[in-house]
Amino acid sequence: MLEKSYASSEVQLVVFKLGKEEYSVSILQVQEIKRITDITRVPHTPDYIKGVINLRGSVLPVIDLKKRLNLPQQVLTEDTRIIIVKVDELSVGMIVDAVSEVMTIDQENIDSPDVVAGSVAASYLSGVGKLDNRLLILLNLEEIIGVGQETKVV
Amino acid sequence: MMDTNQYMGMFLEESREHLQTLNSCVLDLENDPENLSVLSEIFRSAHTIKGMSATMGFTTIAELTHEMENILDLLRKGQLKASHDIIDTIFRCVDTLEQLVESVASNNESSIDSKPLIIKLKALAKGEAVLSTPVKAEAVSIAPGASSSIELSDTEIAVIKKARDQGMQAYEVQVSLREGCLLKSARSYMVMNALDEIGEVIKSIPAVEELEKENFSLNFQVIVISGSEAEKIQHTVLSISEIDQAVVLPCILPNDATGEIIAPKSIEPMKKDDEAERAGNVLVHTQTTVEKKNKSGQSVRVDIDKLDTLLNLVGELVINKTRLEQIGLTHKLTDLVETIEQMDRVTTDLQAVVMKVRMVPVGQVFNRFPRMVRDLSRDLNKEINLIIQGEETELDRTVIDEIGDPLVHLLRNSIDHGIEHPNEREEKGKNPIGEIRLIARHEGNNVIIMVEDDGKGINADIIKRKAVEKGLISQGEADAMDANEAVRLVFLPGFSTAAVVTDVSGRGVGMDAVKNKIESLGGMVDVETKVNEGSKFKIRLPLTLAIIQALLVKVSEEIYAIPLGSIDSTINIIPSDIKTVQNKEVILLRGQIIPIVRLADVLNIPDSDNQHTEEELFVVIVHIGEQRAGIIVDNLIGQQEIVIKSLGKLLAGIKIIAGATILGNGQVALILDIGSLIQ
Repeated sequence: MLEKSYASSEVQLVVFKLGKEEYSVSILQVQEIKRITDITRVPHTPDYIKGVINLRGSVLPVIDLKKRLNLPQQVLTEDTRIIIVKVDELSVGMIVDAVSEVMTIDQENIDSPDVVAGSVAASYLSGVGKLDNRLLILLNLEEIIGVGQETKVV
Repeated sequence: MMDTNQYMGMFLEESREHLQTLNSCVLDLENDPENLSVLSEIFRSAHTIKGMSATMGFTTIAELTHEMENILDLLRKGQLKASHDIIDTIFRCVDTLEQLVESVASNNESSIDSKPLIIKLKALAKGEAVLSTPVKAEAVSIAPGASSSIELSDTEIAVIKKARDQGMQAYEVQVSLREGCLLKSARSYMVMNALDEIGEVIKSIPAVEELEKENFSLNFQVIVISGSEAEKIQHTVLSISEIDQAVVLPCILPNDATGEIIAPKSIEPMKKDDEAERAGNVLVHTQTTVEKKNKSGQSVRVDIDKLDTLLNLVGELVINKTRLEQIGLTHKLTDLVETIEQMDRVTTDLQAVVMKVRMVPVGQVFNRFPRMVRDLSRDLNKEINLIIQGEETELDRTVIDEIGDPLVHLLRNSIDHGIEHPNEREEKGKNPIGEIRLIARHEGNNVIIMVEDDGKGINADIIKRKAVEKGLISQGEADAMDANEAVRLVFLPGFSTAAVVTDVSGRGVGMDAVKNKIESLGGMVDVETKVNEGSKFKIRLPLTLAIIQALLVKVSEEIYAIPLGSIDSTINIIPSDIKTVQNKEVILLRGQIIPIVRLADVLNIPDSDNQHTEEELFVVIVHIGEQRAGIIVDNLIGQQEIVIKSLGKLLAGIKIIAGATILGNGQVALILDIGSLIQ
């Protein structure tokens, strides 16, 4: 078997799609990837909180990532997935349009997020990765999930 | 030194337990100063604390308990009388010990000074120890820090000096054999042997030959030269059975300046803790405790986290069982259904057992109250008799941990505001000694805890006036209230009737905090009162917080769970039954006006396609305390046992949702918090 060793300057990213753009999170923060299941709506929560799901007996909140990032909505498809991430001991599901691949990228190829002035608020981004001709937007999950800051209850 | 960290948890837990025992036993002793078995119990607890703390290296605790023990010993021997002064001092010792133990727990270097207490204890021991026999007086005066007093010959001094040059130390080891020790010579021989192994014995008093002939009472001294620490020597000696006490002191040569001894610090006497042997030897004293021990049977200390995990697992099992049940029913598999019925019985039993394991008698909370009541009533110059009933009633551990503070509040209130001063009581023709009853008992699936006093009661008119003054209610509202409603105003935030804000209570944060706490535990609190006859606070708590019976209801496409404990009944009405009063929807049920809550509106439930135009509406009548409301739902699904799951940190703070549960089909359903729903 071939074993590939990674230099410490490299990071592994889980790449997924939101609309046409490609986003990514560090693989270390990803617990698992699930097909879409029944989501129970929770009243009196911000609209980007889609609800809660049952993950093998525990109740997990699920975030509609596109709503959170103010991206245009799309209908659920066969490819829609829930990426379960763990941030500061808090497990949360994020709905994405499709999960494409896991890739390795060198730290050197990651730029600060200021380069892309886009539709997404800069604080939600932690960097932009360049690989060949692709641009991968790295998400700042701490900020997106809002750990530490109380989720405002509407 | 041995690594004591791993024993830390055990030390703290056991110390707290023994301190609790001390507290309650000293109280008993105060009421019955002659009771020897109580004294023995106190002695034993103090002794255990001393032994444990010395082993763990907490010398301050050990020193204090040691002095305490001296007093207790004198009491036990009848050489001292348990006067108020002594009891108070012992109480203060217990308090100080509590602080010391807690400072150990929080890892703070303690700044607590036990010196004054030690001095006081010594004074007490001396002051009245005049009656005591010389032997005992001597025993008492062995204080930590004392040094050896054996006369040494010139050769011995030379040997010791030489040893010191080689970096070794000379110690005087004072050994006391246990009373009733049968083979004194054998024991002393073993001590000598053991000491020889870790050092060199240069002298003994009495001499070795005398020891062999058993020509000594119970004590003998040995001078030993060793490179080991004093603690090590002490442990070596104590590891021999039938040794009651071993004191290791640095040997001081005549020309040593007393202050600057290079020698390691002396360690104080430490008695060996060997309950079984002890029980055998002092049968008369220990009988009661032996009985107690038998009653408690064999037990294992388990970390509460492990129990929580176990409970969670059982919860999973229950969920999966329900799921299987559904599969069996949908596919009409008779075999499966039968098997599941079997499984159902097992899981039900399993669940019951796990719940039982988590159950703790409320006595654990109650037992700290007698002391509190005693102290408070003394401070306030009131005489109060606290009667505790049903302390064996069991509650879930999580509830037990939380219920203490609210009860303290209620008791303090009763003592401070409820019970009158003795002369006032006499004027009213009451017994000058006030009575507070703390009662726990089962009632269905609930546990009731009552705090009852025979004090002055709560005057509804005063409450109303205060509430209006504070702007909590309007005059009109006040006038419309009956006495019962008015009294309940005490639970409003910011309410306090005490004319004088005392140290004890009356800061106006009490009662609403009590109410909030109890409601957060899924319980409720209510009050009944009669002026000049007393007040009764009644707390109703669920037996457990983890698995409950609930009614599942459907609104549009969503399923919600309503805890069965807060449901009165379910009724069917037609839309025209709903009336409007002051812009609020109400229905009339058995002559009572009940406000209506439309779940679909409150929870912003999106309308489903099939607009319900039905003639019939389902209403679930719920109650929290005396407050009732009707919840309109689309459909009733049925009653089910549900496992409560938390929604997690991210979604905490949604008031009307108490949690979530997983249904048989794997879907998540939310549990409604009736309290906040109907407010």
